[in-house]
Amino acid sequence: MEGKSIYKVPNGKLLKIFLDYNKKTGFINEISITGDFFAYPEEAIEVLENELKGVLLDRDMLINKINSVIQKHGIQFIGLDAEGLTHGILMCKK
Amino acid sequence: MKEQWRLLQTGFNNAFFNMAVDEAVLINCSRGKVPPTVRFYGWNPPAISIGYFQSLEDEIDLDFCEKIGVDYVRRITGGGAVFHDTELTYSIVVPESHHSVSKNIMDSYGRICGAVIRGFGFLGIKSSYAPINDIVVDGRKISGSAQTRKMRTVLQHGTVLMDVDVDRMFSLLMVPSEKIRDKLISDVKQRVTSIKKVLGKEIVFDEVAIAMKKGFEEEFDVELVEGNLTDNEIVMAKKIEKDRFLSKDWNHRS
Repeated sequence: MEGKSIYKVPNGKLLKIFLDYNKKTGFINEISITGDFFAYPEEAIEVLENELKGVLLDRDMLINKINSVIQKHGIQFIGLDAEGLTHGILMCKK
Repeated sequence: MKEQWRLLQTGFNNAFFNMAVDEAVLINCSRGKVPPTVRFYGWNPPAISIGYFQSLEDEIDLDFCEKIGVDYVRRITGGGAVFHDTELTYSIVVPESHHSVSKNIMDSYGRICGAVIRGFGFLGIKSSYAPINDIVVDGRKISGSAQTRKMRTVLQHGTVLMDVDVDRMFSLLMVPSEKIRDKLISDVKQRVTSIKKVLGKEIVFDEVAIAMKKGFEEEFDVELVEGNLTDNEIVMAKKIEKDRFLSKDWNHRS
């Protein structure tokens, strides 16, 4: 099942997410996180996309996973945050 | 005596070489081969650059770009899509350890934009910083910037809009639906301005460059000494242009 969302992060940038997920189980197959935000280091977004594969489309699961990747890789977002990202991902769910 | 930084005036080049030069300077500065550098440049042909995290197909009407001869390229910096036409683009490369740039990314955006704001001042334009990465005149955007940090070195580049053609810009960008194209265009016309609009007359590129040079010198209390790319930077830029910025893998990946 494929979904797409466009979400203006409050006080932030425009987030566009392309999501491929299992409609039965609710697990993420593939995710592409795009938009006009900033992230340091830039390459960490690909790490985050990989780490989100297999994660359940559930608010708490997502936010915990995202925060742990942010911490582990020392990611700094500008115009985006874990909250906004989670919201954008869940908006892809039909 | 004031600290001396290098000033590069590389003229008008295509998008791929322009982006490659910024990266080559970043690498060489990180290795201590060249001093902190400020660069002014233009675009020929006009081009759209998209942010590192954007999806090319989602942002740009590629067929139309090709039809009217507008190039497109993905930047190594985040941020949004920019149509580079009648503008001066600046870039600044400084080691992270230099006292002029804060370890705090937001603070350093503000500081570097401060140089551009001073530059506008020398043209008689009163502008102000609009975080995260814009400079505005009476609430309308006249400059946008994007920063990356690699190898403990800061690269920030940004636009100084000399003139702006919003209709043309929107013919090149994808919009969510045709129905809202006109509304979007009129919204953006309200939100974007240019040196020409503010002053009511055209200012040539070289004049803008002189003002911006003074702005950077004043903000960072340095002397900008006009120099050239080193042989190594030129070789490296040509390689980066070919390997990265001209490659479909780089520009089209989502």
